[in-house]
Amino acid sequence: MSKAKKVLDEAKEIGNPELDLMDKGISAFEEMPGLLNMINITRLTLSHNKLHTIPPSLANLTNLEILNFANNQIEELPTSLSSMPKLRILNLSINRLNSLPRGFGAFPALEVLDLTYNNLNESSLPGNFFMIETLRALYLGDNDFEFLPPEVGNLKNLQILVLRENDLIDIPKEIGELQRIREIHLQGNRLTMLPPELATLDMVSSKSVLKLENNPWVTPIADQLQIGVSHVLDYIRTETYRYLYNRHISSRGAPPPKTIDKSKKASRLPRRQQS
Amino acid sequence: MSSDVTDEGVAIPHTTPTERATTVTISSQFSPQMPGVTMSPLGAMFCSRCNEEFEPHEKIVNSNGELWHPQCFVCAQCFRPFPEGIFYEFEGRKYCEHDFQVLFAPCCGRCGEFVIGRVIKAMNANWHAKCFRCDMCDKELADLGFIRHQNRALCHECNTKAKAAGTGRYVCHKCHGLVDGKPLRFRGEVYHPYHFNCTACGTELDSNAREVRNRPGYSANDLNELYCLRCHDKMGIPICGACRRPIEERVVTALGKHWHVEHFVCAKCEKPFLGHRHYEKKGLAYCETHYHQLFGNLCFVCNQVIGGDVFTALNKAWCVHHFACSVCDQKMNQKTKFFEVDLKPVCKRCYEHFPSELRRRLRKAHELPAK
Ligand SMILES: [Zn+2]
Ligand SMILES: [Zn+2]
Ligand SMILES: [Zn+2]
Ligand SMILES: [Zn+2]
Ligand SMILES: [Zn+2]
Ligand SMILES: [Zn+2]
Ligand SMILES: [Zn+2]
Ligand SMILES: [Zn+2]
Repeated sequence: MSKAKKVLDEAKEIGNPELDLMDKGISAFEEMPGLLNMINITRLTLSHNKLHTIPPSLANLTNLEILNFANNQIEELPTSLSSMPKLRILNLSINRLNSLPRGFGAFPALEVLDLTYNNLNESSLPGNFFMIETLRALYLGDNDFEFLPPEVGNLKNLQILVLRENDLIDIPKEIGELQRIREIHLQGNRLTMLPPELATLDMVSSKSVLKLENNPWVTPIADQLQIGVSHVLDYIRTETYRYLYNRHISSRGAPPPKTIDKSKKASRLPRRQQS
Repeated sequence: MSSDVTDEGVAIPHTTPTERATTVTISSQFSPQMPGVTMSPLGAMFCSRCNEEFEPHEKIVNSNGELWHPQCFVCAQCFRPFPEGIFYEFEGRKYCEHDFQVLFAPCCGRCGEFVIGRVIKAMNANWHAKCFRCDMCDKELADLGFIRHQNRALCHECNTKAKAAGTGRYVCHKCHGLVDGKPLRFRGEVYHPYHFNCTACGTELDSNAREVRNRPGYSANDLNELYCLRCHDKMGIPICGACRRPIEERVVTALGKHWHVEHFVCAKCEKPFLGHRHYEKKGLAYCETHYHQLFGNLCFVCNQVIGGDVFTALNKAWCVHHFACSVCDQKMNQKTKFFEVDLKPVCKRCYEHFPSELRRRLRKAHELPAK
């Protein structure tokens, strides 16, 4: 508690708009007196603490551009967060989120949203999640998605989409609408096929990354992947593949089994008893 | 080019025994039955070495039409069979490669190895063509010819320079000839002035020409320009870098030059900036859109075009203020070691704070063969 207070007092004194409070053993906002009145701060970094909740009044810090809660124990978010007018980067990675609040997608300026390593899936997203048009990067790795909602195609400015190690069975064809995308991470899922629309995106230039490893791909995709990602894209552009893919879509059999054991995830562990 | 060359010697490719030596592999040894089929009906055949007749069904070596007992088809020096059938011939005798080199091949004056094939005889020594080089610029001299200058083999250009240095005269960087009068200095080299014209009026220059530094503060001088003295003196009035006409109204100063407002344009779309922000790269100016499109250096954190130093890693770029750990926001520099997680930088301390279960999976993924 005193460690956090010391940082706050110093920041107030010199008017530093960037607050670093990581790894201070903080488990509640009450341990940071006066923080919610520091209206001028632009960055608040609270990584590696033990926060469980975020007070709705945090949204009063209307000048915040970067808000970082990486590696806490947050289970719920206040709806007010989405109203923060200047928030550009929100890091909620390594927490215990099972859902996002209603209206979460209302951020007016959010560019980077990091939700890596939580317990989220398609049914825990609010209806307007894919309305964050300003989003440049969406990190959803280490979650529990089986399907990616087709609304993902609304994210016209999205450059980075990470879905590493979820339980994805299918990728919607709307992924082909992400005209600015240059990084797609799909490794460690249960994918067998890719929508041919993916091949309409420029994923082979030197500035593009497409990660496909560790999926139970159908043999021709697996074979092409051995040679390289560009060969996969060439292959899924072919008429033969389109035919196979359409047949696969219309007569979908049982999906491949889950392969990642998530029972040990820290995001799943019951909250430790407070002493 | 000066013509007063003395002590000139030109390396002529010299034909030595090695060049006449034919490298021959033994034709397949005849099987015992073969002679009866292929040999002349006269039947009388003699070994080229011992002159003995061949016994019927005896093995015969045929090399270029000459016949040998296998035990006679050996190196003239060591009397052993030729390794892999390769031999060298000199004055009618055959040698294995080793003995041939020891006996006849010259040694290269530079690398000390035997010279097989083309031998360059020059400067009282033998050389591989690759090893006989200009003592100043290292150019291969075998086909260019060389000039002996104070016991060094030099190419023609270096010889001119070396001689000029001796007389205190300059060598023109363009034509390599000696400069008789005052030379023109331009972009760090010296020239005959008459190779250049005034950037403004086009007149042929003399040694009074002025070099104008076009980008103050830049150490590179490849944008410097030359003006005749008259034009240089008139340059109190700014000259537009695009149309070369004097600028009477508003002047834009950028890229170390002056421009008419409407002539200072994006190098890609050619639209004038008209006071809007522009971005410079390699001496050209671009509008924001085209700068991104062409160079793509937007900071991952602030999403602004990076003006100064750029950190590039993990398929991304960062400005100097924002290259930081993605988990704790602590600044990093080019020496900071970091881990890569989903192509984001993670400092060592943060990585160690990760759940061990996650670290284990990340480690495993990194051990997979890279694609
Ligand atoms: Zn020998
Ligand atoms: Zn040599
Ligand atoms: Zn030379
Ligand atoms: Zn002139
Ligand atoms: Zn002009
Ligand atoms: Zn332009
Ligand atoms: Zn930046
Ligand atoms: Zn860190």
